[in-house]
Amino acid sequence: MNPNEHPTHNAGEHDDDALRPHTYDGIQEYDKRLPNWWLFTLYGAILFSVGYWAYYHWTGHMQQGWVRVQSEIEAVKLAALGKGEPPSSLQLYNFGKDEKIVAAGQKTFNTTCAACHGEDLKGGIGQNLVDATWIHGGTPMDIFNTINNGVTEKGMPSWGPLLGQQRIAEVVAYIVSKNPTIAQPAE
Amino acid sequence: MRPKRPSIDSVTTINEDGSRYMVHPAGVRGFWTRTRRIFGYLALAAFVLLPLVPVGGHPAVFLDIAGRKFHLFGLTLMFQDLWLLFFLITGLGFTLFLVTAIIGRVWCGWLCPQTLFLDHVVRRIERVIEGDAPVRRQLDSAPWTAGKIFKRALKHALFFLFAALVAHVFLSYFVSVPGLWGMMHASPLANWHLFLFVFGMAAALYFDFAWFREQFCIVLCPYGRLQSALIDDHSIVVGYDEKRGEPRGKAGTTTGDCIDCRRCVQVCPTGIDIRQGLQMECIACEACIDACDEVMVRIGRKPGLVRHDSLNALAGKASRFLRPRLYLYLVFALLGASVFLFAATQVRPVLLYVSRLPGAPYIRADGIVRNNFLMRLGNKLSGEETFRVQVRAAQPGLESVGATQKPITLGPGEEIQEPIILTVPDEIFRGEFPVTVEIVNSAGTVVNRREIPFLGPFREGAFAQ
Repeated sequence: MNPNEHPTHNAGEHDDDALRPHTYDGIQEYDKRLPNWWLFTLYGAILFSVGYWAYYHWTGHMQQGWVRVQSEIEAVKLAALGKGEPPSSLQLYNFGKDEKIVAAGQKTFNTTCAACHGEDLKGGIGQNLVDATWIHGGTPMDIFNTINNGVTEKGMPSWGPLLGQQRIAEVVAYIVSKNPTIAQPAE
Repeated sequence: MRPKRPSIDSVTTINEDGSRYMVHPAGVRGFWTRTRRIFGYLALAAFVLLPLVPVGGHPAVFLDIAGRKFHLFGLTLMFQDLWLLFFLITGLGFTLFLVTAIIGRVWCGWLCPQTLFLDHVVRRIERVIEGDAPVRRQLDSAPWTAGKIFKRALKHALFFLFAALVAHVFLSYFVSVPGLWGMMHASPLANWHLFLFVFGMAAALYFDFAWFREQFCIVLCPYGRLQSALIDDHSIVVGYDEKRGEPRGKAGTTTGDCIDCRRCVQVCPTGIDIRQGLQMECIACEACIDACDEVMVRIGRKPGLVRHDSLNALAGKASRFLRPRLYLYLVFALLGASVFLFAATQVRPVLLYVSRLPGAPYIRADGIVRNNFLMRLGNKLSGEETFRVQVRAAQPGLESVGATQKPITLGPGEEIQEPIILTVPDEIFRGEFPVTVEIVNSAGTVVNRREIPFLGPFREGAFAQ
């Protein structure tokens, strides 16, 4: 709006102010000075960015993004190596003598396995786990593999992706502790 | 020093050289000032009381970020329910749009925290200590005597005290009042990040109260700028009746009702002259209405020269209340509110998912058809609760083992996974059927349910059911 056309009395006091050349829908704007405090925040941000840049690149106090990602990848690889190693039959058998591991295994068994195999392990929909008969192999490692991979045609799901190796090992330890017919393996 | 004359072409509070001009609004009395002050104190009381007053066992508003729980007037949302807030916030947002389109920037003048703090506390403190506008202006340019130092020190100390109070109340929305109390009695190092947050917020508020003030509304606040898109010529705003007031001049010398006493300019907290029309600086505080009415009554003229009216009505044109934008804002506001209300009633105190276990979809052996499911059950309540799991289906002979066999006790926020194994004797199995899994709490109420399909071999006539 042209200030001189404004109907009220005080308009037009700043006729000497420069008008910006552009016009949109008949609207023009003055070239006013920005508030000093606003400019201060701009200059402050510029100064801060210089200081931050120097601090980030030269002090080493802040890890750069790609360095951090690389160290995270290394950590994940290391953890995978440790977890990926399958246990041995003897290891699982010995777990069966560790009260803590057996207790953890019992907890998982009661919530996950007892539905079919019974809380007394004597079976139901699933097989009896405290007798001497093993359909899919009776060494601790055989039991581990049966739980891990499942027996699809008999309705035993593969628990590996749901429970993970550690909890399956604990369940095997619990079964070993309950079934005296499982012999100590050579290795 | 004479106060600056407002100009329509520039912002009064920013000088030509970019420096800050401090406005000293004069005191004003009248209906709107009084009503707005009472309302303001009620709003401030609500601000303090919301995290304090319990509703349904929790503070009315407790945004427990550490515990990832959000308590709103008895409704408890877990962080996975937070999508709901989208509808609450958009619903409130469009309600604000609607209100603005009808009666202008009433939010700014009546409910915005910035105005509540400034008008009802900060400027009151300033007025009590330093006096009314002319005295304050004199004090500004006076030399630094002991009296001036004392007044200024007292004023700024009170400003900072109030800023610290507001910062603490604000924090109590997120850590609860007992949590805040505990932190205040612990070493600042124990919760150093929250301590820094409160200190930083108090410092920012103090800066706002002591120096920044209306610059926030004029330059920083995006909502102030949104107004121009929300208000049209039919919206009720605070306006000057130019047809009645002009030509202005001393009583008896002109035909206009405005006697150019400049009271409306003196009382304006953002430094504008309302007689120059609707301006973006105006926060609808209505001080100029009271100022003008007081003068009009005193000189025996009709009040309302400055009043609430639409720009059309002030220009002597017809003003409409119902416009398309009202319907649009109303539809969006109702949409947000109804989706929020509907979804809030759907929020369950327990989380329940039932999925088919990996492997064969069904197993046929020993004369039974079997389906394996895995149930995920989570307690979203604030206390321990014991649940029973039950299954229902139209098919006779349905048996279940697993999670349905014994009650499950879960602590607050605890989540478990357990299998549900469903069997039906092969000879009475009639074909695929739905099974409802229900979670029953200790009071015997069904608190959540899911439907799952029981699969099996194809049977003649199964689809006829």
